[in-house]
Amino acid sequence: MRKKLLIAAAFTIFGITLTVSAQYQGARSLWVEPASNQVLPDRDAFDDVDGSIGVVNASGNIDTEGHPFFTPLGTNGRACISCHQPAWGMSVSSTGLLERWRATSGKDPVFAAFDGSNCPNLPQDQESSHSLLLKRGLFRIPLQWPPRNADGSKKPVEFSIEVVRDPTGCNTSSEYGLKSADPVISVYRRPRMAANLKYVLSGAQPIILKTGTLADLDPDTGKPVSMNLMTDAREPTLKTQAIDAIMGHEQAKAAPSREKIERIIEFESQVYVAQVAHVFGGALAVPGGPPGLGPLAMQDHKAGVLGDNDRDPVFGTFAAWRGNDYYRSSVARGEDIFMHRQFWLRDAAHINSIGLGNPLKRTCSTCHNAQMTGQDLSAGWVDVGTTTFPTWTEPATWADSSELPVFKITCSRDADPHPYLGRVVYTTDPGRALISGRCVDVGSIVMQQLRGLSARAPYFANGSATTLREVVDYYDRRFDIKFTDQEKEDLINFLAAL
Amino acid sequence: MRIALAFSLGLLLTTALATAQQRSFVSCPIVRDTKTVPCFLAEYEGELYYLGIQQDITSDFHPPQLKHEVLVEGRVAPGPRICGGIPLQPVSVSVIKEVNLACDTLLPPEPGIDAPAAPRGAGPSSRPLDIERAPSAPLTGAHEFTLLYSFNDDYLQYAANSAVNQAAAYARKIGASKVKVSGYRATSVLSNGNRLVEKTGLAEKRAQNIATLLRGLGVSNVAVDWKQDAEPGDGQADASHRRVTILVTP
Repeated sequence: MRKKLLIAAAFTIFGITLTVSAQYQGARSLWVEPASNQVLPDRDAFDDVDGSIGVVNASGNIDTEGHPFFTPLGTNGRACISCHQPAWGMSVSSTGLLERWRATSGKDPVFAAFDGSNCPNLPQDQESSHSLLLKRGLFRIPLQWPPRNADGSKKPVEFSIEVVRDPTGCNTSSEYGLKSADPVISVYRRPRMAANLKYVLSGAQPIILKTGTLADLDPDTGKPVSMNLMTDAREPTLKTQAIDAIMGHEQAKAAPSREKIERIIEFESQVYVAQVAHVFGGALAVPGGPPGLGPLAMQDHKAGVLGDNDRDPVFGTFAAWRGNDYYRSSVARGEDIFMHRQFWLRDAAHINSIGLGNPLKRTCSTCHNAQMTGQDLSAGWVDVGTTTFPTWTEPATWADSSELPVFKITCSRDADPHPYLGRVVYTTDPGRALISGRCVDVGSIVMQQLRGLSARAPYFANGSATTLREVVDYYDRRFDIKFTDQEKEDLINFLAAL
Repeated sequence: MRIALAFSLGLLLTTALATAQQRSFVSCPIVRDTKTVPCFLAEYEGELYYLGIQQDITSDFHPPQLKHEVLVEGRVAPGPRICGGIPLQPVSVSVIKEVNLACDTLLPPEPGIDAPAAPRGAGPSSRPLDIERAPSAPLTGAHEFTLLYSFNDDYLQYAANSAVNQAAAYARKIGASKVKVSGYRATSVLSNGNRLVEKTGLAEKRAQNIATLLRGLGVSNVAVDWKQDAEPGDGQADASHRRVTILVTP
């Protein structure tokens, strides 16, 4: 009851529509089905674990009837909306997926055998065959091996890859695996937010700072792209990403028309998502409060700006909340920790290894530096250690409960090794290396936005952290930060407010 | 005759003095924390040398890395010790690529050991150090850009990255009739007399990489060559031989 009242209060600052939405939220279905022909309001909000998430359609109400984002374009009944749901921050959460499994007895197309199950050859009516999606929110990403250039030729590869553990059976499958007729490596990853995308696409430079090589180009304009789209930056633009997703995730037999792609991009480019209320703190985006909170701030702020630790922080100033009530003071302290709490940042490939030194005495915002999203303003793939042994998020010792595949990467003698793990690396997801073929990229994952977190657990690209506490604990262990309990609580409150 | 002898002796003395001041060695780096930013040091023959402090990616000094040995090539600079070490200036620092887990010395702050003033602290910054540098004079006529590399490395540090962009912009601006990219690899002569030679093929790789970048930046008429043999070292200026030059001709 308390939660509902507080959320209702938040809606009054967000607009009439949201007040109505809040009152009827318990009755309406949150899951937007493909081809459900509904109208999405220009402003909406949904309960999440910490309060409510706000969604702004900057172009106004969205009529989904016949809209290609909301209409199946392939053969399996899915549409873009299947994996990018407004109620879950234009992504999906494991709890939302579990509810959907139960509501549809696993018949919703989001559970399609191709990538909504651990492997297409498993019995699809069993929940266990979809365990990675239901427990961790992970979709199977089958990637051709070796990687290909745009013209279809094979890229040179600096390492060999072996499957060491295969709990899903897909990587050793004679039909779907690494030794199949058309070799494929299956990794399992969270879908990213299809929102706030002007920020994700900004910051492009002709030469990638981290590699000293040319950035990928937009095939239509010939201009360099940000390379911050997707977990491995394998698609350069929203257009190519949409086509890839429709041909892959939706299993289309023919590429969609140009008009459909343009409408998808138009929709994605006008959606803004951020937390709008907290169960104890009430409305977040209010006049006189921190200017970076709420989806309207996301809509209005300039993209492509590097945060400044003193003058213009990554998520704006939180000075208005210092010394305020318990919750607001905690959030303000959390922001201060994010911007200023120093620790030894070490052994992170593509951070320490690009001329900054190892270790580096810096803060969270050194890497999470792009204003409003906390992504990296330069092409953002980093091996922070979540996927690579021994710092990976999986059990440190042998455990039959391990859910992810493990690959052994062996770098050739004439290649530069992984800067901190050497020439033999064990990983649950080689990340960017599966696209670049480079040893130095093994385990590197493109950073994600830090917005709307409370609506879209679990976290990390491999869905290993079920709560923000687990995220903070991982970093605390990984970099030996020695956060106090109070610091952890403050940092979590801050992240949950974004 | 006397003048010639005196000149020769002077030259020998100068060379001997320069050699005495030069330090070229491979060792594990040492990181010393301070109240502000950490200092990076390295030990050679029982003496501690100061290399530099943590800065920004736009800095000329790129610190070494724990988990790796480092090739230090520098000249002993006058003045007091910094962070407990004899300062080397100028100094070139090359991270040896292979992982060496023995290189793991991180020292806590100690009273009386302070880092020099740091241009910036923690966190991101929209004020890269480059902004404070004096603007260079407008280029005219044929101009050669030089990109320097770490030992056995073809990675473009920030300064070299900027130089490629500058060369491309200049070539486009003047409609260059020819842009010649020349790659080199080099030998480093260490203070103990040992010689380190960069790997075969690196000169070509460096040159081809830069040519690819220039073409990608819209530069045409790019010609590439490279010197197969490593530049001979002299133990004095070996770091400056690990290079690619870009000669832009109107």
